[in-house]
Amino acid sequence: MAFSSNLPLAAMSRLAWRNLWRNHRRTLIMLLAISVGVWAMIFMTALMRGMVDQMIEDGIVALPGFVQIHHPGYRDDPSIENSLAPPGPRLLEALRDQEVSGWTTRVRVPAMISSERSSRGVTLLGVDPEGEIALGFDPASIVEGRFLESPEDKGLVIGRKLLERLETDLGKRVVVMSQDPDNDIADRGFRIVGVYKGKLEGLEEGFIYAGRSTVQLLLKMGQQISEIAIAGRDYRDVEQLYQLVNDAADEDSEVKPWGELDTYLGLMLGVMDGFVLVWVLIIFLALSFGLVNTLMMAVFERIREIGLMQALGMKPSAILYQVLLESLMLLTLGLLIGNLLAFLSVLPIRDGLDLSVVSQGMEMMGVSSVLYPALKLRDLVMANVVVIILGILTSLLPAWRASQYRPVEAISKT
Amino acid sequence: MRAFTILFAAFLIDPLFASDIDARQLVQQAMDHWRGLTSYSEMNMTIHRPDWERTMTMRSWSKGDKLSLVRVIEPKKDAGNGTLLNDNNMWTFTPKINRIIKVPSSMMSQSWLGSDFSNKDISKSTDIIDQYDHELTAQEERNGHLLYTITSIPHEDAAVVWGKEVLTVRDDFVLLEQQFWDQDGVLVKTLKTLEVAEMGGRPVAKIMRMGKLETPEEWTQLTASSVEFDLELPDNLFTLSNLRNPRR
Repeated sequence: MAFSSNLPLAAMSRLAWRNLWRNHRRTLIMLLAISVGVWAMIFMTALMRGMVDQMIEDGIVALPGFVQIHHPGYRDDPSIENSLAPPGPRLLEALRDQEVSGWTTRVRVPAMISSERSSRGVTLLGVDPEGEIALGFDPASIVEGRFLESPEDKGLVIGRKLLERLETDLGKRVVVMSQDPDNDIADRGFRIVGVYKGKLEGLEEGFIYAGRSTVQLLLKMGQQISEIAIAGRDYRDVEQLYQLVNDAADEDSEVKPWGELDTYLGLMLGVMDGFVLVWVLIIFLALSFGLVNTLMMAVFERIREIGLMQALGMKPSAILYQVLLESLMLLTLGLLIGNLLAFLSVLPIRDGLDLSVVSQGMEMMGVSSVLYPALKLRDLVMANVVVIILGILTSLLPAWRASQYRPVEAISKT
Repeated sequence: MRAFTILFAAFLIDPLFASDIDARQLVQQAMDHWRGLTSYSEMNMTIHRPDWERTMTMRSWSKGDKLSLVRVIEPKKDAGNGTLLNDNNMWTFTPKINRIIKVPSSMMSQSWLGSDFSNKDISKSTDIIDQYDHELTAQEERNGHLLYTITSIPHEDAAVVWGKEVLTVRDDFVLLEQQFWDQDGVLVKTLKTLEVAEMGGRPVAKIMRMGKLETPEEWTQLTASSVEFDLELPDNLFTLSNLRNPRR
């Protein structure tokens, strides 16, 4: 910093520092306010980031796949008529690219599942077990029985919650009903061979897994499938993968990245960035009133002193810098303590915060009951930069006023 | 001599094998007996709940195993409601909205006209013959009739949720009771014949009651007031246009 004043920086800093601790109680209170504010900015942001990250990751597991190919009509009407042919040679070639970490084909149709006592609407997934696991289905989520073993598997894997709702059990038979392409009823009995536990109860209740070939046979759809799901390396950056697949896919099919397939999740990611900024600004706004007030008081108390210094030859700019320096010190100290507090409070819960007490409410939002805070460097830097820059800007007002006193009037002020 | 040969042959046949055939045939014949080649019947359906009860009068026609048509005649506000069955497909017509709706698979397990019968019960009544393994499990004599008890276990991939069904058939092929058991061996619901009467030239179940065991106060009872068998029914009776605009 180049000071256009006649005082060396070291002397000015010492002056500012001492001034800061003249009324130590006031300074400590202000310091506390800044620290708590910064802590809230960083800690809450980390929690919210964690929540959204998880919603998206869980959502992609439900989708799953970063990019999906459908019949153009499928997303409006996910029925059996809107099916597409299995991937052709050109697409298969593209799917061998290193951008692709896994892919699978599946039949995905609405269906009814009934037991002796109850029946429910579900989404029937005819899957290729190997591809599904490569794509993100966690075999460890099978809590009872086994996952499907091949596309020809005649068993059925359903969610734990659905099992409860149907009042049935592992090893029992249930009936799955759907419609074939001629709108005729297609149904058959399936034995439940596995029960899975989803991160959200909604998933457990909504999806049942059966072998792809078995479902194709049941629905009389030949080799047709409902969707091709493709996973890549990072869900935040799917553009390259999307381009690759889009170029290779058939013209009469529809290729979409996950952000467009699940617009809610896609939007969440975008909204979150804006939300963090708004959150930081709101806290800062509350802080800034305190900051301005403190500095104003500090200046008013010292009017005679300022007048005297000016009378002794100190330039108004030096007074301006001095007050700014005081504010900068206050802010820096506050930031240091605030950051430290945030780190200390994130540290013990980095392995997840158990929110099972309010899990039902959280699930309604699509969030699972263990929250993993995500402390991101970007958010950290943003909070600190906002506080420093806006803090200095707000303290410009009291500093400028301090520098504008006429020495004669100031000295004589009582 | 000829009689002796037949008797001898009967002994030679493996008794288990023989009972298998018998059981299946018994079920088949009970169903045929109930439906005839063609049939026409008028019946009252009473839906009973602990706090209310209502009765509908309806007519029904059937032809072979696949075709049936049911039409509500009374009360006035339900009159004209119809159900057409062709194999496993089911359509309903509601005059109030003047529309024919094909009952989708998702509605098959819902109740039929608000009764204790599900759409599936109505549309799949004869599926039991092919989709189950039948075994004759008991015989007893009562009131001068021989009663056969048949246990039917659905095939592995049959679209049936029950663990087993137990049918009681009288020696003149009147179905006396149909029990629906779950896979844990708990009886869930029964269709019971409460009265048998001679109608349309053969003994038929005059009053049948369907009810769940868990809720004994809720049941649906079908009372046939007249039944005719093997009459001449035109093919156009079982069409969607006839469902909408009754010609008879």
